[in-house]
Amino acid sequence: MNASRARMIWSVVTWTIVLAVVFPLIWMIVTSVKPQSELFSIPPTLMPETITFEHYRRLLTDTPFLQYFRNSMILAVTTTVVVVVLGTLGAYSLVRFKYRGRETLATLVLFTYLMPSVVLVIPLYLMMAKLGLANTLASLVIAYTTFALPYALWLLRSFMSSIPVDLESAALVDGAGRMGAFVDVVLPQALPGIVSTALFTFILCWNEYLFALVLVNSDSVRPLTAGTMNMLITSFNIDWSLLMAASVMMSLPLIVIFTFLQGTLTKGFGAGAVKG
Amino acid sequence: MHSDPPPSLEKRYARIGVVLIAPTVLVFCAVILYPLISAIYLSLFSIYTPTLAGEWVGVDNYTALLASGDFWNAALNTLIWTVGTLMLQLVFGVAMALLLNQSIVFQSLARSLVLFPYFLSTVVAVLVWRWLFNDLYGILNHVLLIAGLIDAPVNWLGQMPNAMISIILVGAWKYFPFVVIVVLARLQSIPEQLYEAATIDGAGPFQRFTDITLPQLRDVLVVVVLLRAIWDFKEFDLIYLMTGGGPVRATQTLSLLVYEEAFRLNRMGMASTYAVAMMLVLLGFTLVYLRQTNRLEEG
Amino acid sequence: MAEVVFEKVRKTFGSTVAVNDLDLTIDEGEFVSLLGPSGCGKTTTLRMLAGLEEPSGGTIRIGDRVVNSVPPAKRDIAMVFQSYALYPHMTVGKNIAYPLKKRGIREPERSERVMATARLLELETLLDRKPAQLSGGQQQRVALGRAMVREPQVFLLDEPLSNLDARLRAHMRAELIELHRRIGRTMIYVTHDQLEAMTMSTRIAVMNAGVLQQFATPADIFHRPANVFVAGFIGSPAMSLVEGELVGSGGGDGERRFRVHCGALDVALPAGLLNRSAAPGPISLGIRPEDILLGSGHHTAAVGVVERTGHESIVRLEAQGTPLIVRAPGDTPIESGETVRFSLRVERLHIFDSTTGLRLNADTKDS
Repeated sequence: MNASRARMIWSVVTWTIVLAVVFPLIWMIVTSVKPQSELFSIPPTLMPETITFEHYRRLLTDTPFLQYFRNSMILAVTTTVVVVVLGTLGAYSLVRFKYRGRETLATLVLFTYLMPSVVLVIPLYLMMAKLGLANTLASLVIAYTTFALPYALWLLRSFMSSIPVDLESAALVDGAGRMGAFVDVVLPQALPGIVSTALFTFILCWNEYLFALVLVNSDSVRPLTAGTMNMLITSFNIDWSLLMAASVMMSLPLIVIFTFLQGTLTKGFGAGAVKG
Repeated sequence: MHSDPPPSLEKRYARIGVVLIAPTVLVFCAVILYPLISAIYLSLFSIYTPTLAGEWVGVDNYTALLASGDFWNAALNTLIWTVGTLMLQLVFGVAMALLLNQSIVFQSLARSLVLFPYFLSTVVAVLVWRWLFNDLYGILNHVLLIAGLIDAPVNWLGQMPNAMISIILVGAWKYFPFVVIVVLARLQSIPEQLYEAATIDGAGPFQRFTDITLPQLRDVLVVVVLLRAIWDFKEFDLIYLMTGGGPVRATQTLSLLVYEEAFRLNRMGMASTYAVAMMLVLLGFTLVYLRQTNRLEEG
Repeated sequence: MAEVVFEKVRKTFGSTVAVNDLDLTIDEGEFVSLLGPSGCGKTTTLRMLAGLEEPSGGTIRIGDRVVNSVPPAKRDIAMVFQSYALYPHMTVGKNIAYPLKKRGIREPERSERVMATARLLELETLLDRKPAQLSGGQQQRVALGRAMVREPQVFLLDEPLSNLDARLRAHMRAELIELHRRIGRTMIYVTHDQLEAMTMSTRIAVMNAGVLQQFATPADIFHRPANVFVAGFIGSPAMSLVEGELVGSGGGDGERRFRVHCGALDVALPAGLLNRSAAPGPISLGIRPEDILLGSGHHTAAVGVVERTGHESIVRLEAQGTPLIVRAPGDTPIESGETVRFSLRVERLHIFDSTTGLRLNADTKDS
């Protein structure tokens, strides 16, 4: 059949490219389980001859990796919770209420959403020093809010505006006040959007590097990104297996979230990010 | 105040709306607006980072900026990086989206896998690529050597133009999935009837692509280009971690320049000046973006 | 008393006037339709009554209470939306129970009332389903049930049947009439479908461009349209409206006599057809399709398209440049292209002043 042959050809072409795209990630995993001796063999072995989890063990016991992981988790979760709570209320207000300055506010949100962190990092650095928050997790939560809040507001706004207004009108007529309608009808409807936004925000915070680089300088508060990079920079001999193991571990939460988000990715996120 | 006449519904609702947005506005003012304004204020000072001692210099920083070779060098690098990586992302992203829109085996798995680099931490991406690029043990050099494309290992990150090409490639790899997501979503919303009608009218596959697919994608592509241009323009992590702006200053973009001025050369006032200049460029981008999206909403 | 009164009610959105100085008094227990083309302000009027929009001017009263700024929850109204607006995350039972819950009605009374309503609408077996699992007709019933369960003073219905297919719509029309008869509450019904308005209403308020055109019983609206707009809007196929000239033809016996000249048509009007304000000048002549009799008479016309539905034939005529539409019996032996003779039932002609658009017939009630 002609159609099935075309399908075969497209499949082979597409999958070749897909595998090429994900090859660096495959290589990351392969490297992380290769024994040190095999790492520098020439030519490199594509599949490791022996699989070892030695690097993972060293990562967890000999390095502050677990501390970094804990810091990143606290940071990302705290920021996400704060930002999603504020953003849900704020986005609802922007979408469904009329008051002076609303349009200006929405534009301002967009502007800050597109604002480079590097512009804010200097004044924030000074601000943290003044507030006595220098080198604390709190300073990073505050700093992360600067990009996470506009981002969450922007996503939530597009999720919320897709909820039919009639539902709220019906709730009002049925005896609810504005807040009652919000709790009874809007929140349950917006829940998938809120969850997606929370997950995206989490990813954003989890991956952040610049603020982590500038605002903290001790291992007790350093998140994963800055911490792992510090391992690279401060080590005398670059230990690639260890770094690849760290990379894999660092990506684990993302893989979990990613599988969870698959559906939204092709629909919601595209719409949210572009339509605004 | 008198209780009659009762306050209008609209006023009461507006009050609820303001209460709901108030926390956001407060946080905005504290962590974004205030720092932004102080960035502009700082740009009028000369500040030594370790002591934070400042001295008013007025617009001296700005005159220095215009005369500074570093600034123009960084601006040019930013332009090369942004244009280069954006073009690759666009071409590769659209092509990939078209492929993934075909009926292929394990279609949804392929779609998910392709998106992965976008959600990866830049730190991870950079570590992986630096390992791939490693001149002695990196697999890239080996593969190219075996394929006979090069005769000696290439120094990917320490030489020009290799360093610029490398970051442009990695940038394209990391960010093209965004183009895929958006374009794929748009492709799926093109009604099948359009293609059927065109086929009946005698259009071949290529004509169907140019006459239906491309025009349908146009609006969404404009928005994608604008957004990606903004994000690539301000990229810091990827370039800083790949090359640190080197060799020398050959890949130093504006973001890296701001960082270097503030935290390496300890000149916060000057760094703020560079930052404000970046902000102005982005303001321009944002206005264009707003105009475009408003036009789309009306259209 | 739950009469509903609009006094000089206005609603503007920016510079557009959606509703202009509306005066309307709806008696308790009436079934009133707000009828008009889309954008005529009928839905805005309903939403103002519901409290979903706030009037820009004037007063709205339900009973003797001014409700302009009363939130919807405190108005004792219920509303059925065009989209049904069923809460997607709640089951049918929870949807119907929601208004009761919001008004603090406790179990077991709440469940009893939900069951009673469900039984009335034959929804008992669907109570545990989610709205998405229901057919359009079932969703419509749930929306109705959610409105009925609380027994409000006033029911508001915003094009509730427009998303149903034709057969179901006819069925639901009959059910709504029956429902109104049984519960006897005031119902206000927004529609653009004149058939719905004519069959269900005690009175119809015809609106156009934010202005109330006529508020009267269906029979009055049909037989005595107050102006050219109502005349042209009500009736299907629409009344033929022909521009012409009203001329006096002094009867000699002291009574005022008139003729109308409309192109080829020259008709002597019967004595007493027109009211006192009628005077020679430009007019619009309105002829209902059923008031033209084919076969004999001293007018002639060319036959255009003939649409046969079986029990009747809709015939398009052209009388020397004047287009007319005729409703004839289904078996009328007539073919496109031939010339026919016809006569008019002159006592049923409608005459409107060309400049004001107002009806000039003597049977127009002064109000």
